[in-house]
Amino acid sequence: MSELAAIQSGFAAALASGGKAATGMAGAVPLFRGEPARIKRCLAIYRGNSSANAHKALAAIYPITATITGVEFFEGLARAYALRHPSASGDLNEYGDTFGDFLAAFEPAQALPYLADVARMEWLAQRAHYAADHAAFDGSRLAAIAADDLTHLRLWLHPACALLQSDWPLARIWQVHQHDFAGEFSVDLDAGPSTVLVLRPQLRVVVEALAAGESAFLNALAGGNTLGAALTAATAADPGFMPDAALQRWVAQRVIIDFTLA
Amino acid sequence: MTPQLHGAGIGLRARHYRDFLDTTPPVPWVEVHSENYFGEGGYDLHVLEHVRQNHALSLHGVGLALGSAASTDDDARIERHLAKLKRLVSRFEPALVSEHLCWGAHRGRHFNDLLPLPHTEEALAHMNARVQRVQDALGRRILIENVSSYVAFRASDMSEGEFLSELVRRSGCGILLDVNNLYVNQINQVNHGGDALAAMAAMAALPRASVAEIHLAGHLVTDDALIDDHGAAVAPAVWCLYDAALALFGPVPTLIEWDTDVPELGVLLGEAASAAARMEAEHV
Repeated sequence: MSELAAIQSGFAAALASGGKAATGMAGAVPLFRGEPARIKRCLAIYRGNSSANAHKALAAIYPITATITGVEFFEGLARAYALRHPSASGDLNEYGDTFGDFLAAFEPAQALPYLADVARMEWLAQRAHYAADHAAFDGSRLAAIAADDLTHLRLWLHPACALLQSDWPLARIWQVHQHDFAGEFSVDLDAGPSTVLVLRPQLRVVVEALAAGESAFLNALAGGNTLGAALTAATAADPGFMPDAALQRWVAQRVIIDFTLA
Repeated sequence: MTPQLHGAGIGLRARHYRDFLDTTPPVPWVEVHSENYFGEGGYDLHVLEHVRQNHALSLHGVGLALGSAASTDDDARIERHLAKLKRLVSRFEPALVSEHLCWGAHRGRHFNDLLPLPHTEEALAHMNARVQRVQDALGRRILIENVSSYVAFRASDMSEGEFLSELVRRSGCGILLDVNNLYVNQINQVNHGGDALAAMAAMAALPRASVAEIHLAGHLVTDDALIDDHGAAVAPAVWCLYDAALALFGPVPTLIEWDTDVPELGVLLGEAASAAARMEAEHV
């Protein structure tokens, strides 16, 4: 190993937390000039900075999760997550992609059974925030499509869009945690399973609950199926599904942004 | 390319997006952290597109961690990061692009911090190779910023000023001189041979315009070390060093950075006005 690699390896060991912290710190001291006790305190500043940066990034991506758990419990979750899933990128906006899955399996978080899905929703919102921009659906192009071909169209969803199925009322949890929410802060946790749509109609990310027919329709589109197949799936899930109204709304919300003829 | 930088700018942070969308704050240029605009689209890029219509722009990276020891994995990490930076630079054509004299990644883990390098010939050769790789990929010169440090490496056999100056000679990069970091390192006594003024004197021997930007920020005083938390007004001793830097390097574009407990915009504009006044006083 080169001298530079050896120095950084020793320095990195001093920044480790958990069980290896004390040995890592002691091993690194000889790399530096000065009094050992002060060197250790200064290395502890670096260790604190690094873990604080990861914690701040996680708290920024998962504000609802952090509100639900409270600040102190969230700090503990962030520490536990960082031990198993340290940051791998110099772009902290990429950090925390598996936090929801981590919470689902993390024993101390089991008292809040909806927490993992809330976090999964917030990760989809994070992806949506940075997703590519796209122009609105150009309806005039449809005029060139023969009526018989309409069911063969493939409709494209905006890159920001994502669907999430959950046993918990995620859209309501999202809604009551928005800064401008003025209604009564109540969530009916027994509302039953639902699917939410994460979307970005303009620049702000929105989360909406979908009815059974709507989620069957959008799931079919997301899976690459044709308009005809999506309509069949939607009416099977909900005989009362109203395609005209739903399509108009999704075009206006930039959920559906383009089409190709299959 | 956006206009060249003149005078004193401020670091643009999300807290001040609304100010820049609703008004045109009286500041000639802004600097942003490149990584916050690595997305493919969305709100942050929308704001930046708007801001650059009225302000010159500098892109300041905090994530490349160029001095991290080479390995197949680390080279691949650099290339992934560089691809995103290149996309951003092509889109905005900023007046300046900068990064840090630091390392930060080790065996697949990124500490997301600006960790100091030992000032050795090996570290210098490695930084030189990495800086040249970035400059080749972007097709332009970048600036490298001196970082703060709380520890002194036994292995160092050059001063910070010598190290950075030699990096400029070998790679052709410029210097982003962080005056607060020089001061923090002087007080923390981490620099092998030489205080803040000695570091600046070493840089003054470089070709003119090698020091192409200056950073000013506040720091935190603790029992063990000064910490550059960018969370306070510029300290009086740092203003004095800044005057010395202006005398040596001329009216170099200067940035006010504030990252912790970011105050309202007026406070930053006030600090920028103080820097601009010192620039003018030095060059009447």
